[in-house]
Amino acid sequence: MIQEDKIKKEKKEEKIDKVKETRECEKARDEYLSGWQREKADFINYKKEESKRARELIDFLKVQWVLELLKIVDNFDRAIKHKPDGAESLNWAKGVEMIDTQLKDFLKAEGVEEIKAMGASFNPEIHEAIEEKESTGESGKIAEVLEKGYTLNGKLIRPSKVKVNK
Amino acid sequence: MSKILGIDLGTTNSAMAVVEAGEGKIIENKEGNRTTPSVVSVSKSGERLVGVIAKRQAITNPQNTIFSVKRLIGRNFNDEEVKKDKSLLPYEIKERQDGGVEVKIGDKWYSAQEVSAMILAKLKQDAEEKLGEKITDAIITCPAYFDDSQRKATKVAGEIAGLNVLRVINEPTAAALAYGLNKKKDQQIVVYDFGGGTFDISVLEVNEDTVEVKGTGGDTHLGGDDFDQKIMQWVVGEFKKEQGVDLSKDTLALQRIKEASEKAKIELSTSMETEINLPFITSSDTGPKHLLLKITRAQLENMVGDYIEKSMELIRKTLKEVKLEPKDIEEIVLVGGQTRMPKIQEEIKKLFSKEPNREINPDEVVAIGAAIQGGVLRGDVKDVLLLDVTPLSLGIETMGGVSTALITKNTTVPTSKSQVFSTAADNQPSVEIHILQGERSMAQDNKTLGRFILDGIPAAPRGVPQVEVSFDIDANGILNVSAKDKATGKSQSIKIEGSSGLTKDEIEKMKKDAEAHADQDTKKKELIEVKNMAENLVYTSDKTLKESGDKISEEKKKELEEKIEDLKKVKNDDNIDVIKQKTEELSKLAQEIGGELYKQARAQEQSKKEEKPAQGGSSSDEKDKKEPEEGEYKEKNN
Repeated sequence: MIQEDKIKKEKKEEKIDKVKETRECEKARDEYLSGWQREKADFINYKKEESKRARELIDFLKVQWVLELLKIVDNFDRAIKHKPDGAESLNWAKGVEMIDTQLKDFLKAEGVEEIKAMGASFNPEIHEAIEEKESTGESGKIAEVLEKGYTLNGKLIRPSKVKVNK
Repeated sequence: MSKILGIDLGTTNSAMAVVEAGEGKIIENKEGNRTTPSVVSVSKSGERLVGVIAKRQAITNPQNTIFSVKRLIGRNFNDEEVKKDKSLLPYEIKERQDGGVEVKIGDKWYSAQEVSAMILAKLKQDAEEKLGEKITDAIITCPAYFDDSQRKATKVAGEIAGLNVLRVINEPTAAALAYGLNKKKDQQIVVYDFGGGTFDISVLEVNEDTVEVKGTGGDTHLGGDDFDQKIMQWVVGEFKKEQGVDLSKDTLALQRIKEASEKAKIELSTSMETEINLPFITSSDTGPKHLLLKITRAQLENMVGDYIEKSMELIRKTLKEVKLEPKDIEEIVLVGGQTRMPKIQEEIKKLFSKEPNREINPDEVVAIGAAIQGGVLRGDVKDVLLLDVTPLSLGIETMGGVSTALITKNTTVPTSKSQVFSTAADNQPSVEIHILQGERSMAQDNKTLGRFILDGIPAAPRGVPQVEVSFDIDANGILNVSAKDKATGKSQSIKIEGSSGLTKDEIEKMKKDAEAHADQDTKKKELIEVKNMAENLVYTSDKTLKESGDKISEEKKKELEEKIEDLKKVKNDDNIDVIKQKTEELSKLAQEIGGELYKQARAQEQSKKEEKPAQGGSSSDEKDKKEPEEGEYKEKNN
């Protein structure tokens, strides 16, 4: 009798174990399937965002390129600012100014706009203060533009470097 | 579930990252930048400014613009460090009731942690905007030498900013995490952090997922900015020598020189020399002056040699303090932008006799590591989903003994790739699939993983049969290669265990060999390609001769035969230029002849069309009259 009971008990325990195992397997299966579906969905969403990312990269590269070009524009500005006396009559000087105009027109066509800072109130959103100036002028107003600032399609790409009235 | 934000709260600049698809990714701030200056200010109109905007107005508002607050957070007012920094800071600081440090912004006094909180709040807000979801949890990093009080203050700063700070972890630990070095066992790691304003050395011990800081050292006032200063001083000095003008008081000139010096320093990390070109740097009585100086890498290394040597000394000192020697260090991690300098990497390699870890952007590695720590805590990084990559390319041997890769190195697995190949000779009945592993261009220089043959390919001219070869690697690294003839559907395959490839050392050697032989291999491959092209051209030209020989003039036919013969003679030699030349000559002639044959064929077609009406004979006129000609209108009941 005791032997029979023992066998019955063992069989019952075996059954309970098998059920437990099955439950655990089912849980793991559901977890894996869910994970797989999520990963697939993430991938599909990533692909959808790819074109957006590609556009953003192109915009970013354009900004970098324009910033480098602006450094050359700065030097052209300096060259023209330091035009020697009597150069107005020199045809060569006129030619150089024409090139400068060509460069500025190109930038404008590409959406690059100069920030008009002279005399404006200092605004750190678009201006960078390099120096403060002792002046009789209105405090907080821009006294001098040391390096021009620019926006690209309305967005700041380089702040104006300025001297501000104390 | 919201993402955990990993934050590198730096002395000069801060950065933030989250885990995306199992990898740390830097989040840009509102201004579109990957780093945010750790600067806080209150403008004259009472507006709070944080980041680059605060930095831009610093000159007009020095007493209310707080930078480097990290030097004060969690410290006592009477600490040596605070006393030293007080003299360098243009803003007012005083002792708090609890002995801590307070700073004045506008007419209010704030604790150092409240100021840090303003920076953290901006980062939180920008991250939420960028990600489009709320951020509540964060991991913030701090230097390994921070004491309890400083760590607690950092945590409090996060809480004031509205963040639930899960952990404050050490910056060097975060860097090690970013490289996955926390998975190592019983390893000593040195983290060399050369940033803009500070230099930190940390010695870590990693054991079974725990990272312990064994020792720290460094110089809190040594950084990349000092290198820029040295170059600036040199530039000003040279200009004075050459042109007799002292630029050191000219604010704008100095500003341009500062930017150009930093740019030159960066360029010299990839070039041996560069130019500092600043037209119209200043004007004098004699007119405008220009600055044009050449600077070489050697000159730069000379200028900053003392700084670099100092950093090496500090490494040696720190190691000594923890009773370790350079040879005991298994891994070195580079952090901070200045570590991009070749001389620094060279010196480190010399000292430790091994390559440092530097693939991850050194300005971003700490934030990325912090994000990964967040990912680990959240359970985003499941071991079972940690995927491997194939360290070397896998492919087959193709015509000419070339190794053609199907799965390139560093491809994440599991993955499958297929490509269609064909036969090299007419009526070729079988193809041999010779499976190779390695980066060399020629099959003989790579490792053979296996071979098998697919036969039963129906007779066909070369290049016509379509044999699809597929490579499949499963998550256990087992490679299955199969070849299928698309015409018959017949296929053959082979299974290659992961262990039958190269060992880790062999893989490293193979990579180095490939790099060393890159030029040679490229030339060899080019030669083979040229030969294959010559081979194909001879084949098609011979075919043209056989099939259309009677349609070509005797003269041209003879010329074609000659050119084919010429190419046949040289195609098996190794003189690439001669083969190219003969191929070019034959190709030109073949095209001419081809063009003529085509013209002939068209002319024949045309004349065939014209012949038909002529066969109609006498009734053609009548026929013509009956049929309405184009443009002529005939009444229906005519």
